[in-house]
Parts: sequence; structure tokens; C-alpha cells
Amino acid sequence: MKWLLKIIDAARPAFEEGGKLQFFNPVFEALEHAFFAPSTRTIGAPHIRDPLDVKRVMSMVIISVIPCVLAAFYFFGLRFIAMIVVTYAAGLAVEATFSMVRKESINEGFFVTGILFPLILPPNLPLWMVALGVAFGVFIGKELFGGTGRNVFNPALVGRCFLSLAYPKTMAASWVEPSHELAGSLTRWISPSLDAVSGATPLALAKQGEMGSVAHQFMGSVSGSAGETSAAFIILGGVFLLFTRVANWRTVASMLGSFVVLTGALIIGGAVTYPMPGVFGPVMWHLFAGGILFGAFYMATDPVTSPITNAGKWFYGIIIGSTTVLIRNFTGYVEGVTFAILLGNIVAPILDEIVIGIRLRRLRNER
Amino acid sequence: MKFKGGYNILLKGRPASTVKAMPEPKSLYLPLYSERFTFTDIRVKDGQKVSGGDILATDPNNHAVPLLAPRAGKVSLKAIENHIVLEDVARLEEHADIAEKELQHVEREMGAAGIKRYKLLSLGAWQFFYDAFTGALPDPLGTPQAVIVSTLSLEPFLTRGDIQLHKRLLNFTRGLEHLQSLLEYQPIYMVMPNISSEFANLIRNQIRGYALVKMLEIPLKYPYDHFAILARRLNLKADGGSVWAVRSEGVLAVDRALTLTKPCTVRIVSIGGIGVNMPTHMKVMPGYPIQKIKENYIFEPAARVINGGILTGRILEADTLGVDTECRGITVLRELHEREFLGFIRPGWSRHSYANCYLSSLRKKFEEKYTTGVRGELRPCISCNFCEEVCPAGIMPHLIHKYLYADLIEEAEQARVDLCVECGLCSYVCPSKIDLRKQLIEAKALIAKEKEEIRQEQLRQKELQKQQEEARKLSEEKAQ
Repeated sequence: MKWLLKIIDAARPAFEEGGKLQFFNPVFEALEHAFFAPSTRTIGAPHIRDPLDVKRVMSMVIISVIPCVLAAFYFFGLRFIAMIVVTYAAGLAVEATFSMVRKESINEGFFVTGILFPLILPPNLPLWMVALGVAFGVFIGKELFGGTGRNVFNPALVGRCFLSLAYPKTMAASWVEPSHELAGSLTRWISPSLDAVSGATPLALAKQGEMGSVAHQFMGSVSGSAGETSAAFIILGGVFLLFTRVANWRTVASMLGSFVVLTGALIIGGAVTYPMPGVFGPVMWHLFAGGILFGAFYMATDPVTSPITNAGKWFYGIIIGSTTVLIRNFTGYVEGVTFAILLGNIVAPILDEIVIGIRLRRLRNER
Repeated sequence: MKFKGGYNILLKGRPASTVKAMPEPKSLYLPLYSERFTFTDIRVKDGQKVSGGDILATDPNNHAVPLLAPRAGKVSLKAIENHIVLEDVARLEEHADIAEKELQHVEREMGAAGIKRYKLLSLGAWQFFYDAFTGALPDPLGTPQAVIVSTLSLEPFLTRGDIQLHKRLLNFTRGLEHLQSLLEYQPIYMVMPNISSEFANLIRNQIRGYALVKMLEIPLKYPYDHFAILARRLNLKADGGSVWAVRSEGVLAVDRALTLTKPCTVRIVSIGGIGVNMPTHMKVMPGYPIQKIKENYIFEPAARVINGGILTGRILEADTLGVDTECRGITVLRELHEREFLGFIRPGWSRHSYANCYLSSLRKKFEEKYTTGVRGELRPCISCNFCEEVCPAGIMPHLIHKYLYADLIEEAEQARVDLCVECGLCSYVCPSKIDLRKQLIEAKALIAKEKEEIRQEQLRQKELQKQQEEARKLSEEKAQ
């Protein structure tokens, strides 16, 4: 790869201080560092460093969603690929503009937002809305707070929240019944709203008193956001993410745990009744329905917007899990994971404040 | 004992357990600086002939700890800056530099215990002692609240205790007894990797009744052998008096100084890391020419030579010509030259990571070939919490980093930045490549400076008040 390095070295002076294309330096730098790791050396103790860097962390997240991406592609067809492309194009434009104005380097965090965002959208959403949503999410949700590492809200969820509040009708009409054929819809381009009624999500159907099979939800052949339908693939990628320690297991465990416990308690207590008999069945059905699994593994575990402290993570998960249950069962909305996680994002700094306060009080006595 | 955090880095180039005696050098280059000491008070003249054990210089700020001549030779003060050079070095019979008269004088002044302490200091054994909390040289005349003896050296690659103690068990237990004789009822805590091993039983049998030694077992995880951490885990309080801490080499030095009354100058220094052709231990004296060690062991000319361990050592500058008096190991590392192509998506079969983000986490334990590369770009903190997880002191480096970023020094002080033991693990694991260790050290220094300034200011005001009082009294007297 010497020739590539030579080209980069030859092009560098134009982008450096005083060069003609100085303004585009962040873009050049991002490209350069995408191909070749910088040759920075340590200047003092410790003389060695862990190989893990932010690029690697982010690529681990992207690797972990590959099963979900493939499942979405299988069930909803070529259109989903177009959604990813549009998301990256629109989001990168915002991200790159901001880093050029700020004269900072482009952060890798966006690449994760860019892959997660289309996964939480209805598969038949008009592409201009996808672009608008991601631009809004990156601009309001991240850049206004100061970029990666300083954002309070998960940018992907901010984008989705914006879309579902601004275009509720289009969002509701964009659900699609996935392909039930063996070949999936790998070669098909689903066309806008032909059969919007048949595309109702399991949670929407449940509100009308109709509960589908858990097995379908597990495999993913149900209607829903592009990436959230297949529980099996989400768990597969999610467990991988937990194994790599990029996502913290505490958040996932407390969120799913509180969700299961609270749903079960509501059924036993008789506060809610489902057409499905028993306790275990409906609880599993709810766990596999909608975005709770995807939210738990990929959204709530975002290290930037979740609490830093481990104790905080436990409470953060419990708040999100129980809020989801409350929204699903007792409000007009059929799904509440987006709102629950955004609420969790708001609460996260407060949780941290409390936990850190307690820890500092304990530390004060240490001599 | 309960420990927090800690992490072992498996690095290739671990020194073998052999100890090699290095050839006698023709000249010795004794550096006037070492980690804790600065020998400014030169006691010899240019061209003077000294014999082994003579005091060449002392450090006036550190209880006059001496720099001893390891061998006989001719002193040259001006040949090389910041070094005392001994030329025409010869291995003659070492003699203790304690004159009979002086001994009698010391005995009159301080009694029998005083002589022992005087011997320890002037024979070079005292420099192996640390104050557990501050890491500084403790007062040789003081009485500690406890003594910590550690046979461990967990930082790669410093001389390990088992190599020091090889075939010297008798000297070690005798050293412990001498140590006990300096104390009254204060306990000696001995930290070992395994307290039920044969070795531990041998020590237990030999010292029975002669020394009050409590053996403690600690896990072999860096940096649990750090004296400040040990002292804190033993529930010793910093305001309850000093805690002496000493490694096995120090106990052996105590034995040599007090039993044989001979100077302790030769020490076992490890040489390890990548870039060393045969990682091992060597027996050298302070001032041993680095060039000679390089010729023998370091085959890569562009390698980085570190005085000390890989995580806390300092780069050995090219103008330092000899091994300093406190050197515990020399570590050699390859400098990073090449830029890696598409590094972040490599499977990583041969690289370690704290997080399991590389294929190597499916592999058995192995030793990695590290270079000095930072291995990534500087990024803002992503709150991954890794630094807190590895921190052995139980503080939150990421929080302190954020406070410092916002210039909130007072908050950083509240977050107990002073508990940091500078082990370097937070910097090592940080995926955003933030040099947390450096930031914490700087914050500590800043806080210490501010505290000192406040203290000085208070003293000045007290002085001022006193003067005013006196002036008032004077004027009153005059008026009368």
C-alpha cells in the first residue's frame, strides 16, 4: 500500500495550514486516517497503549448490527440499502460541514448513528424524510451540544422522534408487511403504501386485541421498523456487543429485567389483560415485539448518553424499561421505546450526579 | 485484603530468571540525578583517589543520603556534566567509610539504635526505603507506624523479588530481624504472592520469635504491589505517622550493612522488553556505563530505552551515561515507524486489548510485541468507564479529566486526585487516547503548589501580626 501513502503524502500540503484547500482539512484528515493509522508515539509513561481506539469501538458497533442489517435487507428489500446510503450522505454532509467550520477532525461516532438510524425507521419512509431526519438528529441532537462525546441525547433517536412528531401520518403509513417468501425481498423494491393496513405492527394489532405468534417475532417476519423485527438477530449482535465490552451489560440487564418484571407484575396483578393466556407467553411476546430489544442493546448502551457510573447504569436501565411498559400499556402510543430512552438520556446526568455525589462523599473519608 | 481495579499487560521480552554478572568496567559514570535524589553536595575533589564505599556526594534535601563509590578509582568531576566519573576503576577490598571516632561520637549522641540507623544511611541501605504514602525517602531517625516488606515487583519489567532472594534466604531473614530491631512494637507486614508456599514456610520457620512479621497474600495483578495501595488496604492512615516500605533488595541491603558493615552498591537490574536480544537480569553497580549494556543486549539502535518499568519508567536520555543509584530495571521498546494500513478493521489476532474487541480474546494468554505507538487518534472522552474500572486507587479519572477540562481545580481536589498512585493504567486503556496519567499528575502538582502557597501566606501573615504586636508593645513602652 505504499503507492496510496505516496498519493496521500503528495496531497497533504494543499490541505495544511496555508494550503489552497485548507478549509477541507478535516475531510482530508478523516480519509487519511481511515486508511493509515497515525504514527504518533507516546512521549512519556506509560510508554505503551492499548490497541483499542474510538475507530475500533465504533466499528465493533457496526459489525454487531450487521445481522440486523442483513435481516432488514432480507425482509424489506433493496429499498433499505437506499435508506442507508441516503442516511450516510445526508448525515456526513452535516457532520463534515460542522467539523470544517469548527476546524476539528471528523468524529467516528457518526458512522454508528448513520447505520442505526435507518434501522429504527419504518421501511417504507420517503427517502427525503430519511435525509431530513438524520440531518435534524445530527444537527440538533449532537452538533449543537458540541459533537461526539458531549451530546446529551442519542442523535439517531432525536431524528426519529422528530420524524414521528412532525409527520405522524406518513410514519404510520410507512409500515410494510415483510416478505414471507423463502427468497425474501432481496431483489424487490417495495413501492410506497399499497397495503398500509396489512403493514400494521404487532403492537398496533395488539391494541386492537390481536396478538400474533411469538415465533414470527423471533425470526422477524412481522411488520415494524426495518431493523427491530428480528429478535434472534438482534440478540445475536447484542450478545457480541456485550462480549466486546463496548456495550455495558448492566444497562441491558436492568432495562430488559425491569421490562419483564413489570410486564409480568401487571399481568399477574390484573392491571392489563391480553388475549394471550398465561403470564410467560404475553411477557415474551412483549419482549420480542417492537423496539425494546433493539433499544436495549444498541440505543440505551450508547456510552456517551448513558450514565458513566455503574450504579447509574442500573437505575438508567430500570427507568427506561419501566417507562416503556407504562407507555405501551397505558397511553395512546403503541410503542414507547424511543421516548423512554430519550427520557433516560435526560435523567442520565442526574443519576450520575447522585451516584458521583455519594462516591465522592465516601472517597472524602478515605485516607 | 480487598483490591480494586488493576490489570496485567502481557508484554513480550520478560527477563529470564538468570542473573548475569557483568564484566568489570574501566570507568564508572555516576549520574547525580535519580528518581528521588539529587546529589548536589559533592564531598570529593577533582582527581582525588577514593576506595569502594567512600561517600562521593550527598543529597542535602533527603536526609543527606550518600552517593557511594562502588569501586576504588580516581574521581573526575568535570569530565561529563551531571556525572561523577570514576576512572581507573579497580575492585579492591571495599571498606566501610565509617571512622571509629565518628562511630563513638554517634553512639554517644544516639545510642545503640542510632548507630544502626547511621550505618544504614551511610552504607547506602537507607536509599531502598520508601515512605509508603508519599514515595519519598523516610526520616532515618523517625519511628514508623508500620513497615511493609514487599517481595513483589509487578510492573513489567522490573527486577522481581524471587530473583533477588534466590539462594539468599538466610540474608533475607537476618535482614528482617535487623529491621525488627529498629522498631519497638510496630508490625512488619510482608507481602507475598503465596503465603503457604515452601518458601514462605522456610521464612516463617527461620524468623520464628525473632521478628514480628505478618505475612499477607496478594493477587499478582499490577499495581497491587504499589506501596501506597498496600498501606491503604492495610488500613494504615497517612496522618498516623510514616509507613516504611521496602522491597526484598532493601532487606538484603539492611542485612549487608548491619551484619557485615559493608556498603551496598551492587544491585540486580533487569533488562527486558522487545529490542533486547536476551532479556535477563544483570548484576551491576551504579555508574555502570549504559553503552556497555547496550552493546551487550540492545540490538535495535532506534529502540527507546526506559529507566524503570514500561508503565511508569522514564526515558533514559542519551546524555545519561551510567546506571543511576535507584535503577530497578531497564526496559527497551521498539519505536513506532510504520503507519498501519486499515488498522481499525484488522482482526487483531496478535494484539491485546482490555476490551474484547480483537480476535485475540478467543486465544489463550500470549505475550504481545508492543511498540511506542499511541495506536489511535486523540478524541473527546466517550465515557466508556474503562479508566475507572482499572483504577487501583478507586478514583474516577474520567471525572477528574472533565473537571480539569473545565478548569475546576477545586472539584478535582474534591474528587480526590491526590489518591492517584500514578500507575499509568488509565492512560493505557483509554480508547480516546487521553493521557490521563499526565493530567492527574499535573493536577496533583498544581493542588500541592496552591496548598503550599496558602500555607506560606498564612505564615507570612502570622509573622506580620507578630511584628505589629512587637511594634505596638515597643511604642507603648516608649510612651510610658
